[in-house]
Amino acid sequence: MVLPLKLLFQLSVRNIFRHKRRNGMLLAAIVVAVGAVVCTSSLIRGFQYDMADAAVANLTGHVKILAPGYLDDPNIGKSFELAETWRPDVADEELAGWAARVRVPAVIMSERGTRGVQFVGIDPAQEHISFIGSVAVEGEHLADASDGRILVGRALAEQLETGAGRRLVIITQGHDGLNRESGFRIAGLYDAEGTGLEKMFVFTGVDTLQKMVGADVYTEISIRLRRDPVLFQLKASLVEFFTGLDVLNWQELEPQAAAMFVFADSAFFIWYFIMMGALVFGLVNTLVTSVMERVRELGMLRALGMRSRGVVAQVVLESSVLMLIGVAIGIATGWLAVLSMGDGIDLTQWAEGIEAFGMRGKLVPVPLADDIVLIGLMSVVLGVVASLYPALRIVRIKPLEALRR
Amino acid sequence: MNNDAVAVCSGVTRTYQEDSVPVHALRGVDFTFSRGDFVSLTGPSGSGKSTLLNILGGLDRPDSGTVSVDGVALNDLNETQLSDLRLAKMGFVFQSYNLIPVLSAQENVEFIMQLQGVAPAERAERAVATLAALDMADLAHRRPGELSGGQQQRVAIARAIVTDPVLLLADEPSANLDSATTEDLLRLLRRLNEERGVSVLTATHDPMVMKYAHRRVNLRDGAIVEDSAADGV
Ligand SMILES: Nc1ncnc2c1ncn2[C@@H]1O[C@H](COP(=O)(O)OP(=O)(O)OP(=O)(O)O)[C@@H](O)[C@H]1O
Ligand SMILES: [Mg+2]
Repeated sequence: MVLPLKLLFQLSVRNIFRHKRRNGMLLAAIVVAVGAVVCTSSLIRGFQYDMADAAVANLTGHVKILAPGYLDDPNIGKSFELAETWRPDVADEELAGWAARVRVPAVIMSERGTRGVQFVGIDPAQEHISFIGSVAVEGEHLADASDGRILVGRALAEQLETGAGRRLVIITQGHDGLNRESGFRIAGLYDAEGTGLEKMFVFTGVDTLQKMVGADVYTEISIRLRRDPVLFQLKASLVEFFTGLDVLNWQELEPQAAAMFVFADSAFFIWYFIMMGALVFGLVNTLVTSVMERVRELGMLRALGMRSRGVVAQVVLESSVLMLIGVAIGIATGWLAVLSMGDGIDLTQWAEGIEAFGMRGKLVPVPLADDIVLIGLMSVVLGVVASLYPALRIVRIKPLEALRR
Repeated sequence: MNNDAVAVCSGVTRTYQEDSVPVHALRGVDFTFSRGDFVSLTGPSGSGKSTLLNILGGLDRPDSGTVSVDGVALNDLNETQLSDLRLAKMGFVFQSYNLIPVLSAQENVEFIMQLQGVAPAERAERAVATLAALDMADLAHRRPGELSGGQQQRVAIARAIVTDPVLLLADEPSANLDSATTEDLLRLLRRLNEERGVSVLTATHDPMVMKYAHRRVNLRDGAIVEDSAADGV
């Protein structure tokens, strides 16, 4: 005898409707749990992606090429030459952009103060891949690679008590090991998210900085991709091309952000199992009640000749059908909640604390289809597993014994 | 007459352990039930009627002795095989009607055929015909909760006979019915027995039931004390 699935399905559905109130409440609990998981998981993803994005935008890129030893002791000696015609070996649709820079430690001076900074020579046309390409600037942004002015963070300008249009002196080590000193006019002040960046980076045209250090070299190339998956291939081909240089991906460059990224993955699962764990208790409880008050009826089905596995299948089906409906509505509800958040929750009121996590001011939910499918599948599997206990418990009672109750 | 036997018990004993005191429900029962028989199993309360019926129906197992139904030795079967045997060969009518509350009368009657894998059209046809034969055609789409006790018992009987079982086992089928309904029910069983050749075994206290049977088997303290032809009405 194969399982009479149609019959079992019919019995399951009708039994669900038999206790509208109880099953309605259970359904509501499933909807709330699944909806909450969908909603929060997309916020966790939003947090995770935002954090990774911020890390990558922080002059890092997905992959970075550096001279060996530069990270431990950054100076113009740890640099490399680059052919005019070079460009990364990545398809256009996967490449967001790349930038070659000179980045050296420097001392910046005004009449009012002296600070240590990172002096970065950039080609503004390439910098749409980093935060400096999209910052708001009071005054003017750098015009091109040969711009001889500098761009200073607002926080640094306040410390140095200077402003756009004023002049500053910068001292750094030249390629020959001797110190160079030049005066620069401030083109504009930039506002980064978080004062840390504003105090750390001073920008000028890359040609200008190369002239100042006296060498036609670069200290880093950043490459940014549109999507992560090509990262591995890209890194491998770069390692081959740039023999003798270090090729690092963003996880190696920003280990803290990478660790948070992994943590967010586990947070997603931990949160899921907390919510679903609570739900499964309720589910098992309701199923045990509903099955136990039907001991006689289910015993009678077996007395008439339904095999034990038919009864097990009926109980499992009942739970699965309920779970499927709950999951469908729950996902829809969670999705609506995500939509209602629109372009994100404003976190600026807690921004001070949140920056520590490498986040920006806004939490934008990122609902991933993979996550939602996974949530749905795991929930239905959970529904099946939860119903096995009451189902097996009921068929352990002999039909005759069940009929006598 | 052995090939005419639908059920044979020999030396069947069944002992229950009640608070570590053994209760001998059956103490060596030998019994042959022939095709086309209409037997009433009588005896005082606790004499072992239900126990014998359940053992014959493959719902319970004897502690010793053998039982065979339609040539199949039940002792050799495992639970699943017993379950399949009940499905294929037995019809049960219980004291309380034991219909499936979420199914209509007709669906209840179709239920066993559905388990047996009978095609939908044939199933419906047979269910409708059987319900009609029991004067229940008009109520076929009602659920058990919307039927009287007598009507529910008719549905239970329709369900039991629609598959043409080898053996129809009825344990106190009239216990919850008034005497007029009981009389109807008995006439019905009698008719099924005569017209369709259904073999009927009922356990009962009810003298009216005994009146309708062809053969009366009297149990006392777990043993058969009388096995005689009854007149029938
Ligand atoms: N599951 C059980 N556990 C313990 N004792 C049982 C069980 N089932 C039956 N008995 C005992 O076995 C004996 C026979 O019971 P059985 O139900 O067969 O009697 P019966 O003739 O059908 O009685 P009644 O007319 O009251 O239905 C009784 O003494 C009863 O108490
Ligand atoms: Mg009894």
